[in-house]
Amino acid sequence: MRLTRDEARQLATPLVLALAFTLAGAALVWSAGEALRGAKRNFATAQTERRQNTERLARIAEEEREVKEKIDLYQRLKTLHILGEEQRLEWADAIARIRKERELLDLRYTVERKRLLTSVAAKPGNVDFYASAMKVDLALLHEEDLLRFLADLRESGNAYYAVKKCALMRTGQPISGASMTPRLSADCEIDLITIVDPAKK
Amino acid sequence: MAKRLILYLSADEHLLYRAERTALELEGSFSADEAGLDAFRDYLQGARGALFAVLADLAGEDFHEEQIPAVRGSDREALLARRLAQRYRDTRLVTALSLGQVLAPERRNERVLLASFTNTQQLSQWLDALEEAGARLAGVYSAPLLAPALASALGARDARVLVVSANRAGLRQCYVENGRLRFARLERTGELPPEALGRFVRSETQRLVQYLVTLRALPRDAGPMQVLVIAPPGQRAVFEQALHSDGRLTFRTIDYSDALRAVKLRRPPEGGGTEALFVHLAAQKPPREQFANRDERRRYLLWQLQRGIVAAGAAAFCLCLLLGGSRWLDVLNVRSATAEQRELARTAAQQYARITSSFPVTDTSTENLKAAVVEFRRIAERSSDPELAFTHISRVLQKFPQVELETLRWSVGKPGEVRLAPTRTASPGAADPVETLVVVEISGRVNATQRNDYRGITAQVQRFASALVGEGYELVRTQLPFDVTSEGVLSGDIGSAAESGEAPRFTVVIGQRLR
Repeated sequence: MRLTRDEARQLATPLVLALAFTLAGAALVWSAGEALRGAKRNFATAQTERRQNTERLARIAEEEREVKEKIDLYQRLKTLHILGEEQRLEWADAIARIRKERELLDLRYTVERKRLLTSVAAKPGNVDFYASAMKVDLALLHEEDLLRFLADLRESGNAYYAVKKCALMRTGQPISGASMTPRLSADCEIDLITIVDPAKK
Repeated sequence: MAKRLILYLSADEHLLYRAERTALELEGSFSADEAGLDAFRDYLQGARGALFAVLADLAGEDFHEEQIPAVRGSDREALLARRLAQRYRDTRLVTALSLGQVLAPERRNERVLLASFTNTQQLSQWLDALEEAGARLAGVYSAPLLAPALASALGARDARVLVVSANRAGLRQCYVENGRLRFARLERTGELPPEALGRFVRSETQRLVQYLVTLRALPRDAGPMQVLVIAPPGQRAVFEQALHSDGRLTFRTIDYSDALRAVKLRRPPEGGGTEALFVHLAAQKPPREQFANRDERRRYLLWQLQRGIVAAGAAAFCLCLLLGGSRWLDVLNVRSATAEQRELARTAAQQYARITSSFPVTDTSTENLKAAVVEFRRIAERSSDPELAFTHISRVLQKFPQVELETLRWSVGKPGEVRLAPTRTASPGAADPVETLVVVEISGRVNATQRNDYRGITAQVQRFASALVGEGYELVRTQLPFDVTSEGVLSGDIGSAAESGEAPRFTVVIGQRLR
């Protein structure tokens, strides 16, 4: 049947209606598809969370053993103030005190800027290990003085003292009777390590 | 929904019915003259948008059987048009009904029943009125065209059936063969009492059968033919008395109310006759074959096309709705499963929290506690104290009083960070990867030995270096005060008076693996 112009015009409204129906249907299918994709994403996330929680629950006995094993060391790190922010004034006080107590002749030191040594992933936040490099120059009467200085430093706490380098050498200065002349000199590099745990109460 | 109207045309009166799914209602009545036609024209002014069908129940309907070659499509249409034009002078209202194919000696033929009205004038004026009013004409039917559908609805099972009904127009007799119309006639009845009408039905049926036999439309030895007689309301008993079967005719009288039920017409028009059955079938089950040509039905076909387009759109929407609905069901299922997973995760987390609450009191989370301690241990393992090395060296020095120490350099670090000589002494397990190494460089002098006593100095330094090995320490490098290797230069000044008093210097480097 060949349509006249007028008849073709009469088909315009039904065509628009049919198109609207089709578009509405397509939109419905699309929105349903999007919703389905979103729901599947949420499901995958929930499934992962459930699996992780279940696995963690299954490992709880091992975890309890680990906690019991590690708690003492953690408490000790806390007591020694290795855990926490740097205590630079405490360090300075400790060095001055050691020098005085050990009657060291000459002691010079510099502490460098803090640097991040490592950051360990954990929950609720990463545990960060910081190190501040300290250079110490000592004038010694005897090599034992160096060892005592290092031991005292370790005992003073407020950081974990990791000695990186230590050089001990003769000064070659002649011994005079009037004053205490250092026979040895030592220069050491020591990392002062502190730990920042964001979950620490 | 468009109003569906059926114009029932009889010789005396034309009735307009409004058809619904299971109901018929008389919309108007028009006399079969100019006045009636004018009234119909007036009516049409107010019936815009309605769908019309015309049902002619008139005498003078011609049926003629012919055979045409069995062709299809436009060829068949053209062939039939030619045959119809040959048969009827006025082809405005003609149709051809297929009666099935026959196998001729040389080719396959199709039997067709050509049908038209001997006097189309009585119809044409009313069709013109519809055309002038721009009405949508679905089709022009005659009562016989609907007879096969009526016979089927009434449960006729025989191959040859005669459907007889007392319509408003007269006694309508339709011969249906194998579900197809074969012949029909209308005999005016006038006002007859039921008994007389019953007898009239019997006599007219016998006459028709005789005529069909004469025409050879009905085989002479075909056996008794079933005659379905639709009795007017309340006249079934009278009809059954008058219509007793014999060797040629088997009458089956059907009550009008039963016939209404059979065609699913629940609300027939008030005061209507058995023609209501035909009208209802014309509205609800119109046959494909009808008399109007394509041009007269153009508006209806356009209307159908419009509805078809919208219906296609609606069907597409429904399909999408189904698909979308199915996906939404999936969404609901997935959401439900997600909620279940979340609930399980929450339960596991709660259980974990409950159990961990009985753990030793910590000032941090379990994970942070583990991370802090494990990493600290790792750092501590890679650290060392110079005191251990100093004590070891001090112990060895006591055995070598001629060796005087000048410098001691202790360092700890990765192999790349601490100074190592290229000619490192191989040791067991040297292939193992070394993470951290303690390196001690010892520089000193050998006293009480002639500077030119190369052998003696070498022996003493070698012994000293060997004594340093042990307790985890390995010899890394030994540097003598002179070069005794083949690659170096060896010089001497034996017996010279200008011999330096300075003791020869040496360097020994030892290392210890931490991990």
